[in-house]
Amino acid sequence: MGRAAGTIGNGLKYALLCLYLAAVVFPMCWVVYSSGKSTQEFYKNPVGLPKVLTAPNQENLATLTTNYGKAWIGSHFSSYFVNSLKVVAISLFFILLLGSMAAYVLARFEFRGRNLIYVLFLSGLLIPMQLILIPLFFQYSNMGEWLTRLLAPPVRALGLGHLTISFHDSHAGLILIYIAASLPFTVFTLTAFFRTLPGELREAAMIDGASEYRIFFRVMMPLARPGLVTVAIFNFLGLWNEYLFGLVFLNSDSLKTLPLGLASISMQAQYKSDYGLIFAGLVIAMLPTLAVYIFLQEKLTKGITLGALKG
Amino acid sequence: MKRREQKLFIATFLGPPLALYALFVLLPTINAFRYSLTRWDGLAAPVWVGMQNFQKFSAHGSDFLIALQHNVFLMVVPGVFILSLALFFAYVIHQGVKGARLFRITFFFPNVISSVAVTLLWILIYSTTDVGLLNNALKSWFHIKQPIPFTESSRLLWALVPMIVWSATGFYMVLFLAAMENIPETFYEAARLDGATSTGLFRYITLPLMWDVFTTGVIFLIVTGLKAFDAVWIMENGRPTSFTHTLSTLMYSKVFAEYNIGYGTAIAVLLFALVLLATLVSRRLLQRERLEY
Repeated sequence: MGRAAGTIGNGLKYALLCLYLAAVVFPMCWVVYSSGKSTQEFYKNPVGLPKVLTAPNQENLATLTTNYGKAWIGSHFSSYFVNSLKVVAISLFFILLLGSMAAYVLARFEFRGRNLIYVLFLSGLLIPMQLILIPLFFQYSNMGEWLTRLLAPPVRALGLGHLTISFHDSHAGLILIYIAASLPFTVFTLTAFFRTLPGELREAAMIDGASEYRIFFRVMMPLARPGLVTVAIFNFLGLWNEYLFGLVFLNSDSLKTLPLGLASISMQAQYKSDYGLIFAGLVIAMLPTLAVYIFLQEKLTKGITLGALKG
Repeated sequence: MKRREQKLFIATFLGPPLALYALFVLLPTINAFRYSLTRWDGLAAPVWVGMQNFQKFSAHGSDFLIALQHNVFLMVVPGVFILSLALFFAYVIHQGVKGARLFRITFFFPNVISSVAVTLLWILIYSTTDVGLLNNALKSWFHIKQPIPFTESSRLLWALVPMIVWSATGFYMVLFLAAMENIPETFYEAARLDGATSTGLFRYITLPLMWDVFTTGVIFLIVTGLKAFDAVWIMENGRPTSFTHTLSTLMYSKVFAEYNIGYGTAIAVLLFALVLLATLVSRRLLQRERLEY
């Protein structure tokens, strides 16, 4: 009797697991295969598989390539993609460089004010981005005006005409806030990591006559690679998907990142009937992060685990 | 000599990150508190009004309180499902199932997709046009005549519940699973020898020993619910109504549509206070005596 109940329980367990698996996977598959449909196909066969799968021929394959062509070029997804790549790559480079510099010093050196600076960085973990958004908007206006005025005399002296510096509607403005806002998490994680590295290495390198700078870039950074990778993954996912700051600081279509481009398409989705294009755009937006996750999922899960156990 | 060199090293390494952080995070934070005490349209000189913006919040039926209710809805209703599903799946996977790796990896998928993409995906699922997955299913299964406008403002918050559960459960499952795997197997062995049942093991060993991580999960949920913006904003085409405004969308609309910067920033300040409060209170309330093992 106990065993029978156990078997039923076991069956139920697998049934629920598989049901949820289907609930997760099916919508994503639906998006992917729907991106191969023409508008008529949506009308005749709204939910089913596209002809490009059921009856693969030249004509039906053309539907698929047309959809992606329209999304990639016609709807500027190529430019959104390149913008995202540029903004995230530059931000990540500086986040990792500046974050590890600060973390290394905070973890391995004794000096006055160290704890204060560490706490200052940590307090950033509790500040919601919404809080800094509005003041930063006006700060950017002031900084732009100020820099323009400051640079006007030398620019004129060099005969370069008029130069206006603006942090609004520019990638530079977005990158600056991405770097600064990512520092608390990065510094917090990497400080913990640098603390675990053996101190003898630094002493040995010092005896060999290496400077502090050399020790950091040649000895410590390579050792910190696992920590850097974890931090890089989390920051990549966060920044690649970021929407609110982009919404406030980017206006021109030619500057928009993927989430912004996708949002402007989805805001018209209810009225637009070119579904093939919308599905294709959605696939383009989903694929990079899914790919990163599949390749690096072990590292990502380990990162969450470490975070969880430290609480 | 050596000492001065080291000081210089510390300054060059700490200076740039600290300057950037101070200029773009700390300075705006301080300014937010200043702005919140003014009435300002962004052009004329700001007028100092003291606590007036905050007093308006407490008025019965204020837009702030309505938005806050929506935030609470968006953390509590999906939160209950997320926590129970995540705990359940983490527990059965931890006990050992065939294909554990597959479930674990796949359940996490929606979490890495951007919130904008998730929102668009669900707009398409709920759509009343030809593509709408759900309406098509209802049409063929239950023969409904008219498609149901699920994302209509008055019922949008309910429509967001499955979406939030779908996109967040995997993360909490991975979090809880990690905590469960950290519990030494010997505890379970000893309890089984004493004749503990599977429910007993969960109730008296698993749950108490992962309580810290569960607390962390609850705090995450609350903070995420307080900050909710993307889905409501996009599903409402940038014009949320009194049915759907959250604190963040209200803040955005007040500042960038109504040029009421003082009031908008005051919302942000209170949002910050609520995040702080929620973190501290739930730590205090949920923290039982910490079990060391």
